[in-house]
Amino acid sequence: MTNPTKAPEADELGTADTLAPTDAASAPVFRGLSPGKLMWRRFLRDRTGVVSAAIVLLFILIAVCAPLISMIYGKDPGTHYGQEDVTLLTDSGLPTGPNGGISADFWFGVEPGLGRDVFMQLIYGMRTSLFIAFLTSVLTTALGVMIGIAAGYLGGKIDYFIGRVIDILMSFPSQIFLIATMPIVVSLLVASNESQPVWLPFVSVTIVLTLLGWMGLARILRATTLSLREREFIEAAKVTGASPLRIIFKELLPNLWTPILVQSTLALPAFVTAEAGLSYLGVGVGEPTPDWGRMIALAADYLRTDVTFLLFPGLAMVLFVLAFNLLGDSVRDAFDPKTKR
Amino acid sequence: MNVRKSRQLAAAVMVVGALTVTTACSSGNSNSGTKPEASKSKVAATAITVGTAADSVGPAIAEPGAKKGGTVTMIDRDDFSHLDPAQVYLNYNSEASLLFTRQLTGYKLQADGTSKLVGDLATDTGTTADGGKTWKFTLKDGVKWQDGTPITSADVKYSVERTFAPFIKSGPTYLQQWLTATDYRAAYPGPYEGKELDAIQTPDAKTVVFAFQDVHPDANFTVAMTGYGVVPKAQDTKEAYDKKPFSSGPYQIAEHVTDKSLDLVRNPNWDPATDPIRNAYPDKWHMEFGVQSQQSTERFIADNGADKTTFSFHNQVHPTFIDKVKNDAALKPRTLEGLTPYVDYYYMNNTRLKDQKVREALLRAFPHQQTRQLQGGTSYGDYATNYMSPTVLGYEANDMYDILKKPEGDPEAAKKLLAEAGATGQTIVYAYNNTPTQQKVTEAIRVGLEKAGFKFVPKPLDAKTYYDAIGLTNNEYDLYWGGWGADWPTGYTSLQPVWDGRAIADGASNYAHTNDEAINKMMDDAVKIADPIAQGKAWAAIDKELQKKAYSIPDVYQRSLSLYGSGLGGVKFDSLFGLQYPLNIYVK
Repeated sequence: MTNPTKAPEADELGTADTLAPTDAASAPVFRGLSPGKLMWRRFLRDRTGVVSAAIVLLFILIAVCAPLISMIYGKDPGTHYGQEDVTLLTDSGLPTGPNGGISADFWFGVEPGLGRDVFMQLIYGMRTSLFIAFLTSVLTTALGVMIGIAAGYLGGKIDYFIGRVIDILMSFPSQIFLIATMPIVVSLLVASNESQPVWLPFVSVTIVLTLLGWMGLARILRATTLSLREREFIEAAKVTGASPLRIIFKELLPNLWTPILVQSTLALPAFVTAEAGLSYLGVGVGEPTPDWGRMIALAADYLRTDVTFLLFPGLAMVLFVLAFNLLGDSVRDAFDPKTKR
Repeated sequence: MNVRKSRQLAAAVMVVGALTVTTACSSGNSNSGTKPEASKSKVAATAITVGTAADSVGPAIAEPGAKKGGTVTMIDRDDFSHLDPAQVYLNYNSEASLLFTRQLTGYKLQADGTSKLVGDLATDTGTTADGGKTWKFTLKDGVKWQDGTPITSADVKYSVERTFAPFIKSGPTYLQQWLTATDYRAAYPGPYEGKELDAIQTPDAKTVVFAFQDVHPDANFTVAMTGYGVVPKAQDTKEAYDKKPFSSGPYQIAEHVTDKSLDLVRNPNWDPATDPIRNAYPDKWHMEFGVQSQQSTERFIADNGADKTTFSFHNQVHPTFIDKVKNDAALKPRTLEGLTPYVDYYYMNNTRLKDQKVREALLRAFPHQQTRQLQGGTSYGDYATNYMSPTVLGYEANDMYDILKKPEGDPEAAKKLLAEAGATGQTIVYAYNNTPTQQKVTEAIRVGLEKAGFKFVPKPLDAKTYYDAIGLTNNEYDLYWGGWGADWPTGYTSLQPVWDGRAIADGASNYAHTNDEAINKMMDDAVKIADPIAQGKAWAAIDKELQKKAYSIPDVYQRSLSLYGSGLGGVKFDSLFGLQYPLNIYVK
């Protein structure tokens, strides 16, 4: 679908500013573009990327504005509408209205059983997913950057040690490990006779996902750092007596932004699905916090009797993950047009 | 602000419009014409009578239109956890054992659907001359094992003796305690060390006499339990007997692959003339395990191929299919609905909740309607007001806390009670089985109790260790779910194991930790009443006393809704176990 690999024309890349002939009045100086600007231009030309970015931004906007939407819409995610108004659900808890109870009052229908509003559940569930995914991405990126650069730059025993730790962690069957560790993390953090605080599942899911999510980036950065370490500008910095910290932050890091950005944009949708997967398996965020994975798990039971209920969380999830993945691809293409796919 | 709102609305309406087209096949659901509160059928309480010697003569009452032959398939979620009679205590194990294990007495299904206690191996339901302290049973002529040797009184004696053995862990313990002492294992080690139990006498090959320590007028019901079914000494393989028991009934086990399948073929040495309970129409039974209820419901609805001649002891209609099944006229002829002997309670931990006003507030605030709707509505059960099930002899309905009037809970009344007790904001720690359904039920309870001014603390427990966790006497929870069904339909097994204060122990069934001197005394007295009707009245009085003191929250009398294949006839609901009844089934 995307078509970014067309060999770019020399002038299109901005060696001379031919795109603005009206500027001719001012001196026709040669105007170079920064790599950032180049990337931005390439990105704008990629229609798929732009559309994906718009969808992703829309999702983020909805998630951020969820309380506002709830205010305008007049409903909240916690109230059991179907149990307060007995006409909404049948005796065994299925929506009475057609199409999962979609009506002017309930835009996306009513949840079977508790009778909560599906629209509200969906956008508040998106908040849960995005919050955890963002937090995890930031943490894994930070961890990955630190460990990856340390391994690549310091080399030797440290590199060997980190490499083996990464090997061990990557050889874990992560899904099974996640299921096994979640209850332990929760029981470590909660006192025996107090209510489980609302933030706890967020924190524990984030911790578990982070622990098993940083290795990919670390490996890539280690490899890139290894090759950069031998380059002349690093040698020069060393000769002029720069401290290792200065070399890492001022010389190495600026050259690593491309893989870091690309990897973290691709990691985020993976964490969204991983979080949903955990909830689907019943070890993620629990009631009453709205959550996509749990919604989909519940809806799967109603596949034959209330298919509408699966439709909305399913579509939302597919759309979001697809858009974010395409965006990740476009970002990579924009940064690194030489990559053939 | 306004502009943005209308735009958003327009976009949303467009999305909804598009989706409505794609899901036009999903129509609304309705309540199949009945009010949600109304239950389907009236329960015939005290339906069980004690039959005479004439009732105990075979053959069983024939199913109209039944014919012999064919193979019947049974699908269920789990394999039978035990088949050794002495180990059988679970209802679906008992139901399967009907096909190959006989006891001294048993329940005969009458043409009108009621059950009657009759002699199975015995000629009648036993006789007692001293009000229930010694019981005498006489065996029928012509009762045989699957190898053709006759079943003798020595076999019956041996079968009871081996229930004392250390490896028998999960069966009932009534007879053992009645014959010796509460700590019966210390009193007699079982028959494997060569010692016999003198409390059981066998004057001749046909007569068994039980001499109990105390008076037990309903011992004839006790010996009807599968747990006291017969086991032959010559074939006893101890622990291994659990996998393939030796048959005394109409079928014998051909093959048993654990957790996969069980195949039964006819027992040629079973004589229908000696058996007033069992019809044996099919030639073979094929039982398969590992089928979840969602799967079995879909298979029964589709009714294809071999599923036409399939039924299920235990798998019910999955809750999400209940409306579909009830509203489908084509499924109606092969839908079974009935009341099981189980009562669901939300046990209050009486070691922690000492104030009766607080307990009453909990009772009034509890959202029965909401929690029931989440678990299947009217098909899940009838709202319970009593501690005893309507299927138990002597049941007297009384609605002391207006549960039937306000099944959704009465937060106002509860609030008032809490204020009177000076306990507004009382913390309730609720322990629950951490499954998706129970998470939602917990949500409904949270909303209900918080409305009444309680502070609600939910504690999820792992499904595997749920009963172990709530069974600890020093557990740190105030409220937890549990169910109990009577072992035979008199008040004794319905109430004593759960509400007798002397039965409090780690892992024991007195989950609510009620220890009320007055109630303990009433129970001791009720057991000794010889007349069943008068005894029933005494248990009803105990039931009422329990309600008055608000010791727990009775939730529902469990119902069952199940399907079977269209190629079968004579499939009935067994209200004693709450399962599908195999003994009248035939292939059409």
